[in-house]
Amino acid sequence: MAVPTVQQSGPEQRTPASNRLLWIRRLGASIGRPVFAVVLAMVAGIIIIMITSPGSPGDRFTEAISAYQALFTGSFGSLQSLSFTLVYVTPLIFAGLSVAIAFRAGLFNIGAEGQLAVGAITASTIGIHATNWPGWVLIPVLIVAGAFAGAVWGGIVGILKAWRGAHEVVTTIMLNWIAFFVADYLINGPLLDPNLANSTRPLPPQATFPEISVFYNNTLGPFLPKIAQPATYLVDVTFFFALIALVVYWFLISRTTFGYEVRVIGQNPKAARYAGISTKRNIFLVMAIAGAFSGLGGVFHLMGQFPYYLTGSTFRIDTVGFDAIGVALLGHTTAIGVLFASLLFGGLRQGAGLMQLNANVPGDLIYIIQALVLFSIAAEFLPAIRRALPKWMILRPRPSAVATDGALTITDLAENGNGGAQNGEAGGGASHLSDSTVEHSPGQMQTAEEE
Amino acid sequence: MFFQILFRVLTSSDLWQAALQFSALLLLPALGGVISERSGVTNIAMEGMMLTGAYAGVMTALSTHSLLVGVLGAIIAGGFMALIHAIVSINFKANQIVSGIAINIAALGLTNFLLFVQTGGQGVPSLASSLRLPVVTWGPLAKIPFLGPILFQQNIIFYVALLILLGIQFLLFRTNIGLRIRAVGEHPQAADTAGVNVRLVRYLCVISSGLLSGLAGAFLALGISGIFISNMTAGVGYIALAAVIFGKYIPLGAAGACLIFGLGEALSVRLQDTNISPNLLSTLPYILTLIALVGLVGRTTPPAADGIPYEPGSE
Repeated sequence: MAVPTVQQSGPEQRTPASNRLLWIRRLGASIGRPVFAVVLAMVAGIIIIMITSPGSPGDRFTEAISAYQALFTGSFGSLQSLSFTLVYVTPLIFAGLSVAIAFRAGLFNIGAEGQLAVGAITASTIGIHATNWPGWVLIPVLIVAGAFAGAVWGGIVGILKAWRGAHEVVTTIMLNWIAFFVADYLINGPLLDPNLANSTRPLPPQATFPEISVFYNNTLGPFLPKIAQPATYLVDVTFFFALIALVVYWFLISRTTFGYEVRVIGQNPKAARYAGISTKRNIFLVMAIAGAFSGLGGVFHLMGQFPYYLTGSTFRIDTVGFDAIGVALLGHTTAIGVLFASLLFGGLRQGAGLMQLNANVPGDLIYIIQALVLFSIAAEFLPAIRRALPKWMILRPRPSAVATDGALTITDLAENGNGGAQNGEAGGGASHLSDSTVEHSPGQMQTAEEE
Repeated sequence: MFFQILFRVLTSSDLWQAALQFSALLLLPALGGVISERSGVTNIAMEGMMLTGAYAGVMTALSTHSLLVGVLGAIIAGGFMALIHAIVSINFKANQIVSGIAINIAALGLTNFLLFVQTGGQGVPSLASSLRLPVVTWGPLAKIPFLGPILFQQNIIFYVALLILLGIQFLLFRTNIGLRIRAVGEHPQAADTAGVNVRLVRYLCVISSGLLSGLAGAFLALGISGIFISNMTAGVGYIALAAVIFGKYIPLGAAGACLIFGLGEALSVRLQDTNISPNLLSTLPYILTLIALVGLVGRTTPPAADGIPYEPGSE
């Protein structure tokens, strides 16, 4: 598979042979954890199905397997279901890039959903009122306006973070809800379609994008074999814009000065300051770009998918903005990773319906799977498990650390100084806990455990 | 015209009763948030813990035909979700925000999944009045005009929430335990050196935030609505989070914030015949919180070690 761009590392002065070895090892490390997280979540999903379904253990297992079969058939089983999946994938890519670029600067953008809503509602407002503009004017205007609105919504977060020190997690959550309510107000107020309850008027036809299949038939169709029943393949040409966005993101992060500065800020803000990188300006820019990505996701979904209008309280229920966090984390905030993670999450979303229909397993299982993926990535269970294994099973020998007696006595005293009852209660947790700390302070924790 | 309606609404005891009820609903998870953040563990998962509590409360109440067991079930379920958050963020040192988001997603998925499995897609029926949290009427006090229905004719959880508020305010700022909690949240290394078991304190604080959120879930499902509906918390946990921050991580401050937000929510329902959109009014808590964060009405700063996993022996 194409994963060479997974991590852009600095220049290395090594022999070619060890370079390749290093590359393979890095590849393994960067693919291993996400794959492990997904596998773990999938296995947990099987266990959940087996617990909740009736019958003998064998029946339960077949039930779980058939549920997963339906999940796969519903998402990637046929060209048609693949096209449905890609409908979900497009906004996920945009929102995923939005979260990913913020992560690169060490920022946590939970506001993708709100930025997406703002972008969509802005484009909708303009599109509805400019019905007599020609398409070649209207389409770029809508795209730019949506991106700009998202950028403003994200930029506010950046400004508050850079100049007032307000934590971006809090401000993005607040701005999310403001966006949801304002969108609902507009949808049920000024933009309301008099013939529809709770929905805006649709965009004028010249402002919408066709399905890929329809587009193909109209452009290449006369020369090449046409696609039969093109309207049944739902994915629209905005998917290509998502692919372009992936390339733009990759270029921005790994080939520009801005991207370099952002990565330095994300990895070491102090070093960035010493190097003369303007942290404030870059934080603002990153959040504005993040908002623009999300805004584009909202605009393209509105312009590409029937019925080309917005319905009230959809954004509040929509989970794209939160799925995007999983996408960015699972994809290691790389362009190619975001693509694959979006395919996975979009596939889960699309396959859930068929799973419920065919296997009678509630489609909401996919949310549990997604949450478990998040837990697994966040908690880094894989390294924790590897540390818990006996020494001979670990492939790569770790450098043995020298125990520092001073640190030992401090933790030791703290444990003892708290009285027996409390100590006993915390003991169970603490012994597992030490495993995960080994990476950071090996000697000290191991010795503390032996005590 | 508008001011006439506003005046009529503001002088009705009906509005204030609803406002206080909603404030109490916000207050419980907000207090949980205050405790958790004070001990240095960021908690944005009150929403999920409430939802789990609401579901577990209704299900246990229905299956055991006992209100008390139902409430206990809700509290325990909330605490269980919090336990997961605690294990992942304290033991595994995971990013606490990712963990919180995962809890929220998991709670939504789990409750919908179990609702479908347990009721076969039918949904749960409305609860009988014997399974609903009762409204306490304080005899003659409830007959006082205007104030009576507002203060002395509320759901039982309202009074419980008030007691918990005073208890936590006292605990945090007037007792040894509270000092330890705050020390762990501000400077865990120093607290550790002074003999405080940092992890234990954090564990207990996170779990109590779950217990309180679970109780709020019971209040919502068994008290206010009398039914469980998919995703019924609908952002209450996030408003509670806003209240934590707007209240500057102080229980009484959070209570004040809950009062403002509760009034806004009650108003947004009752001002529908004016030109003010209830949706726009609902943005009030979030806008106020943003203003508080920017520092126009006194800057809000979280505890120094909030969200940072504790590494023994680190600087």
